[in-house]
Amino acid sequence: MAKKRERLQVIRDILKAVQTNRAIKPTRLLYNSNLSPQMFKEYINELISKNFINLDIDKKEKKTFSLTKKGQEFLQEYKSIENFIENFGL
Amino acid sequence: MLEWIVLNKELLKIFYLLVVGLICTIIVLKSHKLFKLSMHQGIRYFRNAFFFYGIAFLIRYFLGALYHQGNISSVYYGYAVNVLFEYFLVMAGFFLLYSLLWKRFEDLESPHLSSLLNPIITIFYMMALVIVFLDFIGQTHNLMFISQIIIFAFAIAISYKNYLDNGTKGKFLKFYFIAMVLSFITWTLNFIASPIFNWSQGILMSVYGLNLIMFILFLYGVVKITK
Repeated sequence: MAKKRERLQVIRDILKAVQTNRAIKPTRLLYNSNLSPQMFKEYINELISKNFINLDIDKKEKKTFSLTKKGQEFLQEYKSIENFIENFGL
Repeated sequence: MLEWIVLNKELLKIFYLLVVGLICTIIVLKSHKLFKLSMHQGIRYFRNAFFFYGIAFLIRYFLGALYHQGNISSVYYGYAVNVLFEYFLVMAGFFLLYSLLWKRFEDLESPHLSSLLNPIITIFYMMALVIVFLDFIGQTHNLMFISQIIIFAFAIAISYKNYLDNGTKGKFLKFYFIAMVLSFITWTLNFIASPIFNWSQGILMSVYGLNLIMFILFLYGVVKITK
């Protein structure tokens, strides 16, 4: 059985999917995230509230997600964060 | 050499303060940046530990220096400096240990918004107050020394286990373990400096030296990992 992902890994995977797909639709992001719909909703709400991603709604009321500057910064610093946690046993 | 150190003790203490204060500031700033991005509780508690260390040293050596040089004459000021120093130092030790243990006690999916809302941290605050109060009544630092010796004994065990389990992945884990051993030795020397060594200057200088090495080790780790 696959090992359960840590919270930071899940966030990284979601942000990477948004970064790769630029303006990604919610259904596609749910599929890429490998999360249950309930967990997906919780993570997305957290990421929007903490300004890691934006929810954009166009004139035809189609929703897509895009990465914010903070989200990009997280992806750039992810390796440092992971190393920090590993090396200080946190 | 030792004579020179004893003669210039106050100057060296200020230099020691500046170095430790700067080290704590750098560690807090770098770990805070990672915490703001990740909201990882372990990083938060690690940051808090060095924040409290920084405040403790600032209080003890900066405000304390003003008192000892006669700039402030009130004896109550002296008591206040000692009490605050002890409180922040004890809390720093608690946070450092808890940064290694928090996963066993907290829900990983629902991190606390503030450490003040965390009941375990509240217990630490209460314990620190009790330790400081009892030491103040007894006019000693013995409870502080004993609490820190116990904390770092546990920290040695946990950091050694971390090193055995993940030493190949986390290269700094070996230095973390060494830092915990140095801290344990420092606190033990502090505790026995009076009854056994009669506050020998050599022992006290060793305490400062070992402490400085411990902080430098942590700075090395933080800077290397976050560059």
